[in-house]
Amino acid sequence: MKYAIPVLFLALPLAAQEIKMPPGLDKLAAKASEVVDVSLDGALLQLASRFLSDKDPDEAHVKQLVGGLKGVYVKSFEFDEANQYSQTEIDEFRAQFRPPLWSRIVGARSKKNGENSEVYLKTENNQITGLAVIAAEAKELTIVNIVGFIRPEDLRDLGGHMGIPKIDVGGAKKGHDKKDKEDDK
Amino acid sequence: MKSALFVLCLAGAGFSQAADREFHDVVRVISQEFHTRPTSIPFFGLVNVFTETIRPAGTRHIDLAIFEHLSDHDRDGRNLAESIQSAVGRSWKPFIKVQSLRRGAEETVLVYMRQEGREWRLLITSVERDEATVVQLRLNPDALAKWMNDPENHARHWHGEIGE
Repeated sequence: MKYAIPVLFLALPLAAQEIKMPPGLDKLAAKASEVVDVSLDGALLQLASRFLSDKDPDEAHVKQLVGGLKGVYVKSFEFDEANQYSQTEIDEFRAQFRPPLWSRIVGARSKKNGENSEVYLKTENNQITGLAVIAAEAKELTIVNIVGFIRPEDLRDLGGHMGIPKIDVGGAKKGHDKKDKEDDK
Repeated sequence: MKSALFVLCLAGAGFSQAADREFHDVVRVISQEFHTRPTSIPFFGLVNVFTETIRPAGTRHIDLAIFEHLSDHDRDGRNLAESIQSAVGRSWKPFIKVQSLRRGAEETVLVYMRQEGREWRLLITSVERDEATVVQLRLNPDALAKWMNDPENHARHWHGEIGE
């Protein structure tokens, strides 16, 4: 019930998601010790935003951000054992983010912790129309797809709301620079 | 007074009967899985007489089933999330699905919502290791939003209405 109450006031229908989640991901649920699956389409998001207060500055900011969104889709898996998912599934998902529509703005890889985070941005007619995040760790995999207008820095504010994990884009960016330097060597 | 109470009970029972198929099917799936029945809540039908009249926070109808002491019962061992999804029907998709298989902290939460005219129908299923709850609400989102924006004032107003 603890997960259900905060989302009591959100709503369903199924929307055509622009980015396809790899079909193999559903099979991962059987291996995972914890699975979180969030599918919020435009109607649900707009309904949800009505319940955010205009008086509270934080809620008002999130309400403003949600106003520009058409969908939020999150799949998150936690495993008891390492290496339960294959790189092929990640590659399959990543393959959809092709230029010129999509560009990778952040790529962070930590060999020490086995963490790999990537943020992709979709732009059409100089407008941001989507954002995708892949966060892969040895025992954890999270995929986020946000459809609509969102700036990368807004991710930090949306983190913790509507199933979106808290993502430190600034921190990841540092990692990106580091990785790029490693690639250059 | 006795006859009024009897009529209210009948009306409440009538509203319960009118509850939607999905709610009863989910309750049936959990009952079959754990070989038990939901805890009886005396006079719960009266709640719907009350909600139909007062509509607290925009809620017009509530169905509730609570299962307790589930760990005392043997399980069939089916995949509960799949069984519930199959009972609810493929036209409904959970917009929130949380499943934890961690030993000792098993949990399955499925939240469905569907717009039906000006109202929304919300179906929440939560199955934990020892208890399960199924809740279905019919609510008016405008009234609910008003309530949430100023809950204190609405609660006072509501209290005043009941007190009169």
